[in-house]
Amino acid sequence: MRQEMGLRLKQHPHKKFVRDILRNKYIYLLLLPGILFYLLFAYGPMYGIILAFKDYTFKGGILGSPWVGLEKFRMLFVEPEFIQAFKNTIIISFGKIIFGFPIPILLAILLNELRFKKFKKTLQTVFTFPHFLSWIIISSIVLNIFGNLGAVNNLLSVLGLERQHFLADKQLFRPLLYITDIWKEAGWSSIIYLAAISGINPELYEAATIDGANRFQKIRYVTWPGMRSVAELLLLLSIGQVMNAGYGFDQVFNLYNPTVYEVGDIIDTFVYRITFQRPPDFGFSTAVGLFKSVINFGLLVTADRVAKALGQRGIF
Amino acid sequence: MKKRKMTGFDIAIILLLAFYGLLILYPFYNSFLVSLVPQNTYTKTPFMLWPSEIDLKSYQFIFLSKKFWSGYRVTSIVTVVGVLYNMFLTVITAYALSKNHFKGKGLVLNFIIFTMYFSGGLIPYYMLINSLDLTNKIAVMILPTGINTFFMLIMRNFFSTIPKSLVESAKIDGANEIQVLIKIILPVSKPSLATIGLFYAVDRWNEWFNAMLFIRDGSKHTLQLVLRRLISQVQSAESGNIPDIVKDGLFQDGVKMAGVFVTILPIMLLYPLLQKYFMKGIMIGAIKG
Repeated sequence: MRQEMGLRLKQHPHKKFVRDILRNKYIYLLLLPGILFYLLFAYGPMYGIILAFKDYTFKGGILGSPWVGLEKFRMLFVEPEFIQAFKNTIIISFGKIIFGFPIPILLAILLNELRFKKFKKTLQTVFTFPHFLSWIIISSIVLNIFGNLGAVNNLLSVLGLERQHFLADKQLFRPLLYITDIWKEAGWSSIIYLAAISGINPELYEAATIDGANRFQKIRYVTWPGMRSVAELLLLLSIGQVMNAGYGFDQVFNLYNPTVYEVGDIIDTFVYRITFQRPPDFGFSTAVGLFKSVINFGLLVTADRVAKALGQRGIF
Repeated sequence: MKKRKMTGFDIAIILLLAFYGLLILYPFYNSFLVSLVPQNTYTKTPFMLWPSEIDLKSYQFIFLSKKFWSGYRVTSIVTVVGVLYNMFLTVITAYALSKNHFKGKGLVLNFIIFTMYFSGGLIPYYMLINSLDLTNKIAVMILPTGINTFFMLIMRNFFSTIPKSLVESAKIDGANEIQVLIKIILPVSKPSLATIGLFYAVDRWNEWFNAMLFIRDGSKHTLQLVLRRLISQVQSAESGNIPDIVKDGLFQDGVKMAGVFVTILPIMLLYPLLQKYFMKGIMIGAIKG
């Protein structure tokens, strides 16, 4: 080993570089298809971003259409539907974080305290299942359960309460988004916390027992500190998803209808609607998308800085 | 561990978790019942716990519908071909990135991770697909989804937990990286391959968005999109348009729910089998991630 290092030092840096490349030629060969994939399908669309600064015409295409500077961005701030969608996105994002974030933590703690192994496994299977279904499926089931003749309304009427139009009620639409999101994803998210808990040294629990800690105290002083850094990291990651309303396109798109656009339309669904459901202004739609991406990216970089300042490993 | 006495705390936990489990299961069960019973049974019994009368007309409608069969066919193609393509790209990229020493590794990693946080957006993507002439081709539901960066990073973490000594000894015998990958790494990575393979399979099975944007020809629509169309067709029936289902006097909600169960059946069958694998796989990814 030492000899090899000595040999390397004597070589010319150029030769060393070439030798490094040659030695790893198979690694580069393995990387090539992946890089081509990213170049084409991830970086390819980034080239189209210049549309946000152009007045797109079919004749001119991306390159030949005239430049309009920041006009499309100026249009954003006078478009009431955009402003509404922007507000909704932020409200729904934070709603999802506030109501949805603690649930998987709670589930993980409870599952960890559960003493029947078999029952625990069965429950986990049940809890994680909805994660694997599309929002098309979930929304069909939601429409069935919350529909006019659905189970929830039947329950209300048996209890002597009035039937509700859950899916067409502006007051109820956002809570419906929060609840269905928790229902679909909380069990799945709890797995990552369970993983963190399983990484806790068992001696810590034994030591706590010897010190006379009861179960609540063990949760508070052993389990929670063991999963806290994961919780912080996930919270920061969710900040980076604020402009997507927490991966909300599929959910909102499949659940909403014109009656609740006012409270449910998010930026992604807004872009879809203005592009594919009315005469499109590609420049404007692209500007909305770019505006969203830039804010998201800015939030994420900020979150990463905060994470590192707090002594976390950070996101990148 | 010593056997401890059941305390009130234990019972409370059991009840709480069982209640949450029921909250997850009941909507599925209720929807399943709706797919099984005729309309008047459904409207007469506000709380169905057991179907008092079974009628398979809804399933009959779905199974006789050409659209569902073609949806099944397209989705199966997309899933099988798509997962092979996904796994090929993901495995080679993840393996290369799990190696420690090669020039430009940091650059490649940043190049990839950047795409997780910044994208061109819907319109540039739409125009790219059009300019690649992928519109109305089944390939449009496969090619653009080659690597899910998050899954790839999980797999990379798994690869980097494999003891280096395994690789070294193969290399002494003269194997190159590609031979090492095929003969040494893949056989010991079954849990990880099964996990990520399942994730991809589910994603491809759930494909509808690319189909909705780019496929004009109805016979190339995926199962999910066929279901979505069926549901919105039924919905618009409530606002005046009369589709075939209503003319045939079928129970609309029943047909919808039968469609749901026909669509998720493969996931329901596959899921319990692979579940034990992915719990392990994701945990390794999560801890080391």
